[in-house]
Amino acid sequence: MTTKDYRHVHSAIPGLIGDLEKGKISRREFLRTVTLLGLSAGAAYGLAGRITGEALLPAAHAAEGAPKKGGVLRVAMPVQEITDPAIFDWPEKSNITRHLVEYLTITGPDNITRPYLAEKWQASDDLKTWTFYLRKGVKWSNGDEFNADDVVFNFKRWLDPKTGSSNQGLFSAMLEEIDTGRKDKDGKAVLEKRMIANAIEKVDDHTVRLNLRTPVLSIPENLYNYPCAIVHRDFETMGANLAKNPIGTGPYALVEHKVGERAVLRRRKDPYWGGEVYLDEIHYLDLGQDSMAAIAALASGQVDVLHRLELETLDAAQAIPDVVVSKADTALTGVIRMKVTEKPFDDIRVRKAVVLCADNAEILQKAYRGMGTVGENHHVAPIHPEYAKLPPLKRNIEEAKRLLQEAGKEKLKLEIAVGNAYGRWEQDSVVVLKEQLAAAGIELKLNVMPAAQYWEIWNKVPFGITVWVHRPLGVMALALGYKSGVPWNETGYSNPQFDQALAKAESILDVEERRKQMAVVEKILQDDAVMVQPFFQSVLSAHTAKVKGYQTHPTLYHQFNQVWISA
Amino acid sequence: MNTVAVSAPPRAAGLWRALRSLTLLRESGVGMVGAALVLFWVLLALTAPWLAPFDPIATLQPFAKPGAVHAASGSTFWLGTDHLGRDILSRIIWGSRTVLFYAPLATLVAYLVGILMGLLAGYQRGWVDDVLSRVADIILSFPVLVLYIIIIATVGASGLNIVVAITFASAPGIMRIVRSLALDLRNRDYVAAAQTRGESAWWIMLVEILPNARGPLIVDACLRLGYVIITIGVLGFLGLGLPPPDPDWGSMINETRAMAMAFPHMTLFPCIALSSLVLGFNLLADGLREISLRD
Amino acid sequence: MLSFILKRLGFMAVTMLAVSLLLFLLLEINVESVATKVLGPYSSEEQRTLWLEQHGYFQPLYVRYFSWLGHFLSGDFGDSVRFKVPVAEMLWPRLANTAILAAAVFAVLIPLSLALGVLAGMREGSKLDRSISVFSIVTTSIPEFASAVFLSAVFVFWLAWLPGTSGMTAGFSFKELILPALVLILYDLGYVARMTRASMAEVMQTHYIRTAILKGLPYRQVILRHALRNALIAPFTVIMLQINWLLSGVIVVEFFFAYKGFGALLLEASLNQDIYLIEACAMVAVFVAVATQTLADIGYMFLNPRIRFH
Repeated sequence: MTTKDYRHVHSAIPGLIGDLEKGKISRREFLRTVTLLGLSAGAAYGLAGRITGEALLPAAHAAEGAPKKGGVLRVAMPVQEITDPAIFDWPEKSNITRHLVEYLTITGPDNITRPYLAEKWQASDDLKTWTFYLRKGVKWSNGDEFNADDVVFNFKRWLDPKTGSSNQGLFSAMLEEIDTGRKDKDGKAVLEKRMIANAIEKVDDHTVRLNLRTPVLSIPENLYNYPCAIVHRDFETMGANLAKNPIGTGPYALVEHKVGERAVLRRRKDPYWGGEVYLDEIHYLDLGQDSMAAIAALASGQVDVLHRLELETLDAAQAIPDVVVSKADTALTGVIRMKVTEKPFDDIRVRKAVVLCADNAEILQKAYRGMGTVGENHHVAPIHPEYAKLPPLKRNIEEAKRLLQEAGKEKLKLEIAVGNAYGRWEQDSVVVLKEQLAAAGIELKLNVMPAAQYWEIWNKVPFGITVWVHRPLGVMALALGYKSGVPWNETGYSNPQFDQALAKAESILDVEERRKQMAVVEKILQDDAVMVQPFFQSVLSAHTAKVKGYQTHPTLYHQFNQVWISA
Repeated sequence: MNTVAVSAPPRAAGLWRALRSLTLLRESGVGMVGAALVLFWVLLALTAPWLAPFDPIATLQPFAKPGAVHAASGSTFWLGTDHLGRDILSRIIWGSRTVLFYAPLATLVAYLVGILMGLLAGYQRGWVDDVLSRVADIILSFPVLVLYIIIIATVGASGLNIVVAITFASAPGIMRIVRSLALDLRNRDYVAAAQTRGESAWWIMLVEILPNARGPLIVDACLRLGYVIITIGVLGFLGLGLPPPDPDWGSMINETRAMAMAFPHMTLFPCIALSSLVLGFNLLADGLREISLRD
Repeated sequence: MLSFILKRLGFMAVTMLAVSLLLFLLLEINVESVATKVLGPYSSEEQRTLWLEQHGYFQPLYVRYFSWLGHFLSGDFGDSVRFKVPVAEMLWPRLANTAILAAAVFAVLIPLSLALGVLAGMREGSKLDRSISVFSIVTTSIPEFASAVFLSAVFVFWLAWLPGTSGMTAGFSFKELILPALVLILYDLGYVARMTRASMAEVMQTHYIRTAILKGLPYRQVILRHALRNALIAPFTVIMLQINWLLSGVIVVEFFFAYKGFGALLLEASLNQDIYLIEACAMVAVFVAVATQTLADIGYMFLNPRIRFH
């Protein structure tokens, strides 16, 4: 096949091939982008291998011998309610249901998105029209055929404000805002979001098309976001409760589900469309919120997999014989953010002084034991494909002192809210920062509170540390958190220049061009000094050696179809 | 009646008796051990700035084992460092300040409130007694930790809130003791004498009754101090303790216990410190009780 | 007699009412914060207002309290915010698990502490008495969390004799019960033993026992037939009140060992500000505490004839 032949998949692919040949983009980035544009993962790997001459097929199970069928996998993880996938707010919920209900696409631990319930897809050149070709011959567990109606039903449901799904934000290019005609108590018109006409159309029984208002590159990746599980088209009429009526296309059936205790999945007897799966049963066991309980359970053989290994238990885990600790780089980060509309942070000199005092590398080293990559205060991670490297940040106490003096805040006293929602490292990061700020005479007081209390004030408090989870593209977090006026803009940051630059970056397809634009975006955000963003952490999980084919996913998603247990 | 002859024992004599009972403590081996333990920690707390080899919140050298040497200064981490590289010995020494500040403070405030309630109830009787006793019964019916957790988790953890929560939960117990003592003492001759002299009710309660009720109260205070120390520790352990990074034993244990399997020193030493201080107060209480029984 | 029991029960009802009011005020007086807790941090102002309106939160406080109380009395505790299932569904099984743990603790604690207390109190001031006393003081001085850390370090990680968590995920397991029970027993043992000792020592001082010994009755017979019966009245009350202490103790222990009990549920509810769950858990905890106190009072009256005819 020549380069030209890939043009039917997407017109940008030949250009990308050229980039790879010239070494302008990395192999990983190439694979990510071409698969996003609709090339199958296998073809993409083959193509990249031909160009770079490396053997590139993922060698996940090569060293682990032939898979063995049977056995029970016991996983330590919080067991929460799983009523409605569309309104899931914790990925842990989806880890149970991912074995029951499936997604149109799947993003692997290698951060590459592949076809799943959708056999392939195609994007128009302007990235506004996406066509998905659905897999044929997939059966629901009640015997119905999976078809385009299911997909259309799910999209409509996600985008209906009444559902309250966070997918609304993900697919905002399919929504429009309309005036309801009603007025709120302040006399302002009440606006409501609704799906634009024809946003999703059923082309035939196994083809659907999305028509977007604005170009979006990340549709396939969005479709593997955890609330995007495809439920049966009669989900609503069947009671809208997956726990009570677990109908799905996946290889497992839900046998037991006790919130806060355990969930049991058993392999279905009828053949699975996706081929062989190995485990007889998957047991999710809730061990409470104490990280020590989890490690004790692993040590005494009560569980096989720890969904998430807390950093403080790493050494204990490594000390247990036959336990494998695995790690995945992510874009998960604790943002020590300043609210620019509140005193004293409305003065950019104060913010700059704080940022100048921070030594991000030291915070990473001490608070997270160096398990991650240093952040550069602009919330774009090196693992993001569009990441542009800026000149390194330098700690400068003298300059910080000068700025404080200029602002008349020599003896600055600050208080920071810490919720430790994602672990003690949040607090530890701030403890190290406190020491660094002291060098310039800034006194930092910690206000540590239960996570639930932090969530009440996370977007109001002047100074706080908020964790942002991994997102596959850098522009995603920026659009969610730093665009003027968006709901999750916790810093109150509003800079039209930034908004424009970001919007431009979001519509550039050419990776090289997009990266140039990202350098502009990152620089504006960095210069406006809204946050100290010390590091992007790696996530850890642990399992016993007899568990094979297990890989830690950057978002800690589970899909155990290829996991098996050796004797 | 000769009012002079039956007036309250002179205050100087009372003080002398208190001192004498301290020397009496020598007769109780257990009490001496307790007093020594408490004294040890009090001295450590007072001299913390001179004794502690390192700054307790400086992050120096993570995961150093006990006896390791700080590369930059050449000083030794006698008890090792924690995961952030803070010297554990220095944190324990400084932490004794925290605990010996908050626990006695909380106990003292609880005593002020409890004594006031108890004297009022026991001396005035009548509806005051009824109301106060009912309120106390209701608060005492709460399992203590449940009460603490709900209060602290709702209003947030701070030194002040911990003091308030402890006062709220302990004052009724103290009130009960004071009340029963006051009920007994109010019938004494010197109280009657003061009443005939026309002293105010408050004067009688605070000057005539209270000093004579001190024996059982001192024993109770020691026991209660021990329990308050455990409580502050438990709250710290559950993540509801005093705000970091100022060292607090309970929080030190909480922060490092998940690492206890690989680095036991991080958790072991604060546990020993906390237990030994509680033990000190409990032994002291036992010794004091022994002596008061002998008297 | 009957009037005494009625009075106790009446007091119980008053206490429960007062506690319910306190709890309600503490957790629900700020409606805005209730809405944020229920709908989560990402909810919008509008959603919260709508929810508050739908759930009657704009009514006067007393109306809300009585309607809340009414639901509560009829067994409707609301839905857990975090788990999104009815609170009652979670609460009862958890309570049953804690009862199992408590039963295991008492099965060992009562005979052991009574035996130690009686042995110590029989000969006050003897070597045995002093050693038992010091042992009791030492065990009560080590907080549950400290002994939990070290018992699990020794028995789980070092010796690998016992399982590290007690989730009972594969059905009931006696082995998983050992560590949590042991921690609770260690902490409470000293207290009950000392109470028994004090009571025993007091009885041994009574004329009636002294006379019996002077009369030359066999020592063993005096202890078993006469002293014990009277000496065990006080510990009975102490043990009943111990249930109140145990409710506090199980919080730490269940959390630590991931035991699926009531204490862990209460703690996690508090940490997650799961308000309806907190309310139900706290009410149940107070009910258990008050009920055992009432039982202790009534039982004490049966056992102690001196009080009965007051």
